[in-house]
Amino acid sequence: MTVPVSAERYGEPGRSANAQGPPAVIFDEVSKFYGEVLGVNRVTLNIPPGITSLVGPNGSGKTTLMNMMTGLIFPDHGRILMRGISPRDPEALMRVTGYATQYDTAPRWATGFTFITTGLLLFGYERSEAESRAWKALERVRLTDAATRKVAAYSKGMRQRVRLAQAIAHDPDLLVLDEPLNGLDPLVRAETIDMFRSLAAEGKHVILSSHVLQEVDLISDQVVLIANGMIVAEGKIRNVRDEIDEHPSQYIIRCRGRDASGVAAQLFREEHITEIKLHEDRLGMLVMTRDREQFARALGRIALDGHRIDSVVPADENVDALYEYLIGGES
Amino acid sequence: MTPIPFRGRGRQAWTIAKIELRRAFFAKRSLWVYALALLPALIFFGHGLEATLRIERLTNRGVISAALMDSVREGETAEEVKTRLGKPAGENWSTRTQRVRQRAANAGTTTHIIEPTVDARFVRLNVIRPSYSGQPMARIYEFEVYGPDGKVNLALRRPATGSQPCSPDQAPEKAVNGSVAGGETDRWCSNNWPLFLQVDLGAARPVTRFVLKHASAGGEQDESDTRDFNIQVSSDGKSFATVVTSTGAGFVDKRIEYGQTVYFDGQRQARLQFVDGKLQSRDVHKALDFEEDRAIFAGIFQYFYLRLAIFFGCLGIFMNLFRAEMSNRTLHFWFLAPARREVLLAGKYAAGLIASSVIFGGGAVLTFAALLWPHDAVEVQAYWDAGGISHAFWYAAAAVLGCVGYGSVFLAVGLYVRNPIIPAAVLLAWEGINGILPHMLQKMSVLYYLQSLCPVPAPMESDAPALIRLLAAPAAPASGPGAILGLLLLTAFALCIAALAVRRMQISYGAET
Repeated sequence: MTVPVSAERYGEPGRSANAQGPPAVIFDEVSKFYGEVLGVNRVTLNIPPGITSLVGPNGSGKTTLMNMMTGLIFPDHGRILMRGISPRDPEALMRVTGYATQYDTAPRWATGFTFITTGLLLFGYERSEAESRAWKALERVRLTDAATRKVAAYSKGMRQRVRLAQAIAHDPDLLVLDEPLNGLDPLVRAETIDMFRSLAAEGKHVILSSHVLQEVDLISDQVVLIANGMIVAEGKIRNVRDEIDEHPSQYIIRCRGRDASGVAAQLFREEHITEIKLHEDRLGMLVMTRDREQFARALGRIALDGHRIDSVVPADENVDALYEYLIGGES
Repeated sequence: MTPIPFRGRGRQAWTIAKIELRRAFFAKRSLWVYALALLPALIFFGHGLEATLRIERLTNRGVISAALMDSVREGETAEEVKTRLGKPAGENWSTRTQRVRQRAANAGTTTHIIEPTVDARFVRLNVIRPSYSGQPMARIYEFEVYGPDGKVNLALRRPATGSQPCSPDQAPEKAVNGSVAGGETDRWCSNNWPLFLQVDLGAARPVTRFVLKHASAGGEQDESDTRDFNIQVSSDGKSFATVVTSTGAGFVDKRIEYGQTVYFDGQRQARLQFVDGKLQSRDVHKALDFEEDRAIFAGIFQYFYLRLAIFFGCLGIFMNLFRAEMSNRTLHFWFLAPARREVLLAGKYAAGLIASSVIFGGGAVLTFAALLWPHDAVEVQAYWDAGGISHAFWYAAAAVLGCVGYGSVFLAVGLYVRNPIIPAAVLLAWEGINGILPHMLQKMSVLYYLQSLCPVPAPMESDAPALIRLLAAPAAPASGPGAILGLLLLTAFALCIAALAVRRMQISYGAET
């Protein structure tokens, strides 16, 4: 008997409970208060397998949702089912779930390797099995070089990776990752994203959070936008992106040789331009457009006309502006 | 959902316990627990070491037979003892001087001759220090004045005046009435300073001698005799000339020699006290008293070890199990493991129990060993055969069961309360007043059961106040198996309360910092 307490032996409750369709993560009118302060409010979600990103500014409730998914905190109202399992049953849920938290801590004694091995021992794996799985997980996050060093001595990015390795070490069906791409260098980040994709392709849940939409919109199958503890938009990434597309884009244009007013006059004739604000120095302006593609073509024509444009910089690539728009559109 | 078999959960709890052992044993903030556990062993070790060295030193200086040691009687001189018993193993002589009054043997009468003769009409006695005992009261039974013929008392029944008397029947004239035998009413007595007695001789007469009869001449203690005084004469009653000054003195330094010799007969140590060369007292006791040491052990074990050391030790170890992980922000790793919260609780409790049992059970055994080692092997063997082994076992068992009980209580308390000081104080008071609680409530205390498990009742001075006796020794001790069962039930109850808390526990590190 190598694995006395393994997932196979006790069945996979998630699948049996959701026999009709694919197993889902379900939030039913879930609310959570921190004393007087609202954490999340009446959140209803139905997340199918695949990569799902919870996106929202800091303090919007992403971590609260994730802590509730994994039973670290309990909702005050509503019901949560993780692939058919209640988060109140950690024995069943955590066997098929991995959660990389944002708590940047590790026991004082732990090296990267012993940290993950110790965690795996609680799954009932024999030591040799736990060690080989821990090593495999460290390989997947490219941390084998530092495996025998104390976690406390790791850099922020390495600690991020060790938490990721711990979350995936037992091959969970449900991966909950709080800001997993934070602090990763580009190479590891690309590999990590590949890993998410292959897990999603196997029908698993990969639920991650980010406060930067651009970081995740390309890799996500669905996106959940959160602000102030409420779900603002939810669905396939294309639908959400369409919603964003309706949002007017802002650009800052810098011209050479006091040509700003000329450029402005030309732009003003375009139908998709909604607003132009000239800067006091007469060298730059802020332009708002409803259609980015038409705006790009218009700029090309203006440049061909001989106007000298130095630079065009998008001004609203910050998420807060997006949320303001999205929340405003709802009410 | 298929339930996980019990064996699986048991193994899981054991895995958790193994991981947690490190925290339980070596938590930086509870290393003082070791000091508590080892203190009694250190005390007994120190005691044993001191006694062993003392015996060795005494043995080297000579051992006498027990019969010789018992032959010493009070009143023997140091020389006699030394000749018979030989050179003592230890000796210490010292002299102390004491001021004592020299016996004057004058029966309270002093005579003062004046050379050359003076003429005087008025004679006056000024008392400066009225007694040797320090009592500020002048007592003169007779004041006699003689001329050159030396036979006629010129002062006899002459008018006498003086400071206000103690009572009307002890007036100045009592000092010139020619008698001393009439008791206290036959004296002049005054405590109204300045103390003086003056006699009018009627006309200027030549005076050569005064005779004073003090307190002891009238039958009082000689400590009451007048110490310092002077006598003045005058012809007009206004200007006086001092003719006699007596500074009593009468004290000598008396040297008293104190000596102490020590003899040793291989087992007993005799301490002989000599005063002025004569044996005053002998104190014979065992150099290393096994029975006494065991009684002290019983006392230390019950009053210090069970009540304080294990109590605070378990507080340090068990409250830390969850509390430290909250402040270190590592508790969520456990909550994210595929284990029921109760299994986590069981694992942590097991780890704390192993650590505290090893530390305090080991401490008890070590103390017991330290108690035994300096004693005579034969004596120890006899004790061991006569139930000593079961004593050792029950002391260790009581220590371990103390950890079981206190551990569960503090594990539960640690889950509900953040600051350990208040619950610790409350619990300590609760365990302390256990003896005076109704019987039903006594059963809610760990100490109640532990005390019934101790093999030897703790010594208690019989003259201790009733309340202290009551506090120190609760009334009805349960039987051994009953005590264990009761303690385990109490533990199970505490663990259920703890499980309730840990099931409801949510991670909120934010509030922790």
